[in-house]
Amino acid sequence: MAISFKPIKPLLQTGTNSASRWLSYIGLGIGVLLLLCSIQMYINIQSLLGKDAVRKNGFDFISITKTVTNETMGQVGKNSFQQNEIDELKSKSFVTDVAPLVSNRFRVQLSGGESIPFRTDFVLESIDNDFLDTLPPNFSWQPGQSSVPLIISSDYLEVFNLFAPTQGYTQISPQSASVVRAIISISGKGQQGNFIGSIAAFSDRINSVLVPKTFLDWANERFAEEPFVGYSRLYIKTKDANNPDLISFLDQKHYKVNKEKVKFGRTKQTLQGIFSGLGLFGLLVVIMALMLFSFYLQLVIARSKESLQLLLLLGYSPNWLGKNVSNRFVPVYVLIVLSALAVTQILQWCFHHFVMYDRPELETVVNWIVIAVAVVLILLSIFTNYRLVKKMLHKLY
Amino acid sequence: MHLQLQNLLPVYFDESRKQTSEIWGKDLRFENGEYIKIVAPSGSGKTSLMHFLYGVRKDYSGSICYDATNIHDLSVEDLAVSRKDKVSIVFQDLRLFAEQTVFENLEIKRQLNPYHPPGKIKEMTERLGIGSKINSKCKTCSYGEQQRVAIIRSLLQPFDFLLLDEPFSHLDNNNSQRAMQLMLEEAKSRNAAIIFADLERIDYFPFTKIFHL
Repeated sequence: MAISFKPIKPLLQTGTNSASRWLSYIGLGIGVLLLLCSIQMYINIQSLLGKDAVRKNGFDFISITKTVTNETMGQVGKNSFQQNEIDELKSKSFVTDVAPLVSNRFRVQLSGGESIPFRTDFVLESIDNDFLDTLPPNFSWQPGQSSVPLIISSDYLEVFNLFAPTQGYTQISPQSASVVRAIISISGKGQQGNFIGSIAAFSDRINSVLVPKTFLDWANERFAEEPFVGYSRLYIKTKDANNPDLISFLDQKHYKVNKEKVKFGRTKQTLQGIFSGLGLFGLLVVIMALMLFSFYLQLVIARSKESLQLLLLLGYSPNWLGKNVSNRFVPVYVLIVLSALAVTQILQWCFHHFVMYDRPELETVVNWIVIAVAVVLILLSIFTNYRLVKKMLHKLY
Repeated sequence: MHLQLQNLLPVYFDESRKQTSEIWGKDLRFENGEYIKIVAPSGSGKTSLMHFLYGVRKDYSGSICYDATNIHDLSVEDLAVSRKDKVSIVFQDLRLFAEQTVFENLEIKRQLNPYHPPGKIKEMTERLGIGSKINSKCKTCSYGEQQRVAIIRSLLQPFDFLLLDEPFSHLDNNNSQRAMQLMLEEAKSRNAAIIFADLERIDYFPFTKIFHL
């Protein structure tokens, strides 16, 4: 037959000085509430601001360059990315992939041929196909092929159409632009080559004139007069361009990044910082409340010392007594944490309904992590109390 | 079960005590069913001996073994088991819960390892003449009544050894005999040994061995 704690209960002197006990209960409640609300808000921010960048197959692509300063001005090597920097970026958990934008290292001229009389120096670039937002089937080149497909930034067409009427040119649509042929003349190392360029697609992502990588690699090898000094621009493929770790890393490295694309990340970074601080404060309050409660428990045990000593003398096991004495406070703990959880739930509902107008990114119900933290807090408080009481009872022996 | 004392002496006693005592410094063995009388004048270490045997104090040299187990080596949990199942005691200073009733004091012990049903408490209190006090707080009982509560409490658990430290100091002859009779019956039903330490010889304790401390 199990031993009953009922006849033992009156031997514990818990009655007087209940102020410290209530203070610790209130403190614990406030601390737990702060902690749970902070975690929930942290998760809300993740849900709200984690999906705002331009995505391809669930990834964000952002371009980075090095900031040109007065010290590095004119030193191409210092303003370019080297392979070890690319490798370092690739090694980060928040970066899925990195690709450099390769530039031509030979002279390129673009002319309209006989139909459109113009000739201009030009820049060509290439990047891995995986980083392109639009990849037409004909965007490829083999040695010996005289035509070269181009992908140009849709911004260029937009700018052209903006100033075309004032300059007497006809505005052109993307479809008609794709039939325009231009002659690409490349020269270097005393050689020259002519190719027919045609616009294969427009890119919203990459602000450049792109040719197939095979073409640029081939041409650089054959015509390049300048030595390779690094890549001036990199594209980062990431699951979340607003990841605060990514932004911190780029800031720390002084890499220049498109601020528009990561503006949510910066807001998120700030908000997460605030709620992390608030959560930390909540945790501190929880710890202080638990400490206050442990003082109260020590007081109870000190006041009931004689009775507890006599119980041990009669043959009561210190483990059994410790478990039962500390278990007396379990319902209070459970009630406090569950109340804090209930308030968190109400606040989350209010936030979702009244502040966020039921936006689908948010849940009305608190996140499972919040519930898990509440459970862990209950278990932690029970465990620490049990340890404390058991230790004190052993001392009474 | 047997109890073995080997060269036992409180650390605060002089070695010369071993020459004059029949307990200190001797090798002794007590078995189940034996009734041991220890006659001990004041200051001879009677209460110390009882506390040593019950594992309350450890400030002694030599050894005390219940079967093969040295009581000195028992963990606090093992000691609790020993006090619950094997060794019972009537303390000289009684050690009752003053704010609890007579019944509550007895039930706290009984429920720990119920050898008797709850009804036995009433039966025993009535037999020792404190039936009317069963619902009174112990602090309101006389010392003699409290002594009888302590005696009954020691009989509500199973035991192999019953340690008595001046259990009748505040009882008249008639009440002492009635209490002794009850203790003998309870010890017999368990085939337990009684170790009875008192200032002088008591005629109504049918000892099988007698020692002078």
